[in-house]
Amino acid sequence: MKKIDIKIHVNGDWYELAVNPWDRLVDVLRDQLDLTGTKEGCGEGECGACTINLDGKAVLSCLILAVQVDGCTILTIEGLQRGPELHPLQKAFVSESAIQCGYCTPGMIMAANALIYNESEPNEDTIRKNLSNNLCRCTGYDRPVKAVLKAAKDMKGNSNA
Amino acid sequence: MSAYFQFEEYHRPQDLDQAVDILSKFGNSARVIAGGTDILPRRPGVKKIDTINHLVDISKLGLDYLKKEGDHIFMGAGTTINIIGAAPIFLSGPYGALSDAASAHSTSTIRNRATVGGNLCNASPCADLALPLLVLDVILMAAGPEGKRDIPIESFFKGVNYTALNNEEVLVEIRIPLCSEKTGTSFLKLRRHQTAIDMAVVNVATSLTCKENRCETAGIALGSVAPVPFRAKKAESMLAGAKLSKGIIEKAAATAAGEARPIDDVRSTSAYRRKMVAVLVRRSLENSMRRCGQ
Repeated sequence: MKKIDIKIHVNGDWYELAVNPWDRLVDVLRDQLDLTGTKEGCGEGECGACTINLDGKAVLSCLILAVQVDGCTILTIEGLQRGPELHPLQKAFVSESAIQCGYCTPGMIMAANALIYNESEPNEDTIRKNLSNNLCRCTGYDRPVKAVLKAAKDMKGNSNA
Repeated sequence: MSAYFQFEEYHRPQDLDQAVDILSKFGNSARVIAGGTDILPRRPGVKKIDTINHLVDISKLGLDYLKKEGDHIFMGAGTTINIIGAAPIFLSGPYGALSDAASAHSTSTIRNRATVGGNLCNASPCADLALPLLVLDVILMAAGPEGKRDIPIESFFKGVNYTALNNEEVLVEIRIPLCSEKTGTSFLKLRRHQTAIDMAVVNVATSLTCKENRCETAGIALGSVAPVPFRAKKAESMLAGAKLSKGIIEKAAATAAGEARPIDDVRSTSAYRRKMVAVLVRRSLENSMRRCGQ
């Protein structure tokens, strides 16, 4: 089978990769780049576990072919932290105890990151609507919503995606 | 290796002509891909995709645009649903239904990729964007080997996942006629979980053009209650020319429910769907009335 060469910018670095035409972005991130922070849940766009930021927008990496993002900029949970300290969103999820099993957490944080990047200080309603894209079956949503509110306040528009 | 949808070859044409050439060459074994949110979740073993060996990517052909020119708003088929939902031009007045439908469609993460053209070409009976576009009487423009042709949206949907497009054609543009300021439109969607991703049990869009409480023209489009989204013409004709009152709106809503041909399925029973058509059409007409002249 003919592989296709692509070049993608992931978490600050350019990668040149050869991918199968049918490889989804989530497969390439996890299997070729070893970025296993991005989880696959349902694989059909319902659960949000595979949410990443693509050119500043929250998207589902299980519904995108890797060949389609040739030349694009991608941010995953691994690229969120800049420097020695955790990213404000990560800190807030810890301090608000917004994590239980943790499987939905990377997707939730990346969805929240794009939201804060695009809206700076989103209100609770907007955050709830956005997090409804990410299914959590243990902690629930109150704590993640609090965490995102806190992080948005801490970041005060100082965000990247 | 992915256990999901696999195919032989991915094509990235440089322009529309090339896309049409590739589609013509591979016929039924080729499909267009833009956002990919409809085609990628399909599982192997489904007859519909087992024959697809070629994907033709039209997402980089500059089909994402939204512009007002002359008597029309021109919308590229590759415009993502979130762009439509946030577009100031659709936020109020005559095009409100389009904005409502775009915001009610799936989740924002999917809407960042999913395109209006894809929503139409997938031709699901519950396609949210089909309904406002039906009441807005839009014209769809397709590109094929013989050049471009116009298809009125009412003759576009032929069956479940089946449209008037030929295999070698690409939907490129949606042309929305400019509406009178006296027109108000609305879209409503009933689903089992109002905040989460879910397809509609029933979805409707309505439009009313009113002058001093007298209805000049009316549009009612119903979704999820027939093999294709369609206009409830009998109900519409009851409203056209009538003085708008609570009574006539309720009668029209009941007539629309009579025009629905719903089925029982995993989301709802046929009987419930029919009842909900009446409720949603009534509420949507009331919304449209409020929006007239806004």
